[in-house]
Amino acid sequence: MQKRIRRRYAAERRFKFMGLAAVVLSAGFLAFLLVTMLSNGLAGFSRTEVALPIDFPAAKLDVTAKQLQNRGADLALAGAGLDEVVDKAATAAFGEQGIDIISDRAWTEVREALKSDPTLLSRKARIDVPVSQDVQNALDGGGKPAMRAIVSGMQAKGLFSNKFDFGFLTSADSTDPTNVGIWGALKGSLFTMLVTLLIAFPIGVLSAVYLEEYAPRNRWTDLIEVSINNLAAVPSIIFGLLGLAVFLSFLNLPRSASLVGGLTLALMIMPVIVIASRNAIKAVPPSIRDAALGVGASKVQVIFHHVLPLALPGILTGTIIGMARALGETAPLLMIGMRAFIAQPPEGLTDPATVLPVQIFLWSDQVSRGFVERTSAAIIVLLVFLLAMNALAIYLRNRFETRW
Amino acid sequence: MTDIQAPAVRTNQTDPAVAAPAQIKMTARDVNVFYGANHAIKDVSIDVDMENVTAFIGPSGCGKSTFLRTLNRMNDTISIAKVTGDITLDGEDIYSSDMDVVQLRARVGMVFQKPNPFPKSIYENVAYGPRIHGLAPARRDMDQIVESALRRAGLWEEVKDRLSDSGTALSGGQQQRLCIARAIAVDPEVILMDEPCSALDPIATAKIEELIHALRGKYAIVIVTHNMQQAARVSQKTAFFHLGHLVEYGETSEIFTNPRQERTKDYITGRYG
Repeated sequence: MQKRIRRRYAAERRFKFMGLAAVVLSAGFLAFLLVTMLSNGLAGFSRTEVALPIDFPAAKLDVTAKQLQNRGADLALAGAGLDEVVDKAATAAFGEQGIDIISDRAWTEVREALKSDPTLLSRKARIDVPVSQDVQNALDGGGKPAMRAIVSGMQAKGLFSNKFDFGFLTSADSTDPTNVGIWGALKGSLFTMLVTLLIAFPIGVLSAVYLEEYAPRNRWTDLIEVSINNLAAVPSIIFGLLGLAVFLSFLNLPRSASLVGGLTLALMIMPVIVIASRNAIKAVPPSIRDAALGVGASKVQVIFHHVLPLALPGILTGTIIGMARALGETAPLLMIGMRAFIAQPPEGLTDPATVLPVQIFLWSDQVSRGFVERTSAAIIVLLVFLLAMNALAIYLRNRFETRW
Repeated sequence: MTDIQAPAVRTNQTDPAVAAPAQIKMTARDVNVFYGANHAIKDVSIDVDMENVTAFIGPSGCGKSTFLRTLNRMNDTISIAKVTGDITLDGEDIYSSDMDVVQLRARVGMVFQKPNPFPKSIYENVAYGPRIHGLAPARRDMDQIVESALRRAGLWEEVKDRLSDSGTALSGGQQQRLCIARAIAVDPEVILMDEPCSALDPIATAKIEELIHALRGKYAIVIVTHNMQQAARVSQKTAFFHLGHLVEYGETSEIFTNPRQERTKDYITGRYG
């Protein structure tokens, strides 16, 4: 007797220990992932700048202060050869290698500085411009030895500074890692998610309501139920092929557009939403339906006044799980051409676009060292997006949760 | 025997158990109900009148709840249930295609075995029925309907200061009275009660029974109960169901003191059930 009790306690302790070990292990993996991402990725949000002295009066730029305040300022400055002025200033300041020190887009920074302060035209100024990838590599301890020597000399003079890179959050893809931005992919993801939600949520919930409340139980509905369960388990790349065949080849919708991406992902997550919604609707106690019918509510009134509000938290949870899956999906979007190089953020649903996970996939394929940090930074943006979505879901669920 | 008679005698003192002259509200003729292959109700014919409380008694599974649910077509929600025979409300066939089931349920309200308030405020629970039937165009009318329904259900004094609290936060007995108020609020003609006290303690049960007394005459009331003492206390007419048959139907005092059928007598004396 005593022995059996001891054995039972031991078994309970063992089970508890195994559970704890599982939790610790998964928490450890998660922490490892986060720490790696953050340590790599945070550098991706910043950029190194170098102070570039420019003598504007000597450069004799053919623009007036007035022109700089007009809308044509960009054209006027480009026409006046600002990029050459900047290159010359770099050579003058940093010697022969000057042009290689500053980034190719350095002159656009100078342009923005001029636009925000036209009085610069009449004096000498020091403007912080981004450095080239070669300098970045040298600073990180890589690159060519010659460049490393120059850079360490400049570093000693304190010419470099580290700044938060707003360009990363506001521009789109580029071939130069110092120039890339996440905004194009983020906007593409937003558009795609919007389409997915607008298509999948209403159709999924209505299907669930019909199947649960109206459909008769027969062989056909059984078949539909089995099909939905199977669809939820179909690999996502197959949905990509379906999207390619139906939306691009048959309906001739624009390639690479977030509209098509959204439609494809909507097809993919609809089964998830239907299954979650059906379970949520099933969980509404029949006594509530009886009560509403008993006071003379029609079937539609019962559904909209009682069943759906009570099922809403469950439906939302399912929808968010589906949306989170759609947000992280890469494979089906590759099939419909969203892996194209998109240097302009999309303006509408039919513009060529890419999405965050595809952007990460593309950057991780790049050879240039600068993309490593950018990839991690993009992953952080994706995770933050995901967290924001989940937070919204939890907020909505708590708001609509009914206390019994 | 004396055990069973005692409550009937008490009822006699407070409320004449003699049935009032009957104005027939609902009639059922040769009603059969099938659940798939299961023949649940067999050839039941009964009249429900306006002035009296009618109790359905009988052992578990005898079909009394099933029959009650045919009276406002709640069985429609069960796809395999099939009802034959005639049931009328004020002479209208309630299963005819002219009868709108939503209107019918507004006229024949129902209170269920387990208190089932909506997970909404007390006010909203009562106001829901009148709102969907458009009974109160203005907010003031609705306030009045809610108050009078709660008063008639004997709940007003207990909840008047917390109408916005959730209906599910009330005690079991209060919840059941709230459900009765909800049924009353749409101004029905008949109220069906399906074992309304089976989930309640004796004090809450007593309150519901008082309430049934108070409502008698204003509505035709049909109550299903497992509890024979309760049937004797609250009803003037009693119907005894057994195995889907209506065995005996008559004045409550007659049924409990002088049953005509052997089966009724056996059930009432506790021989089975």
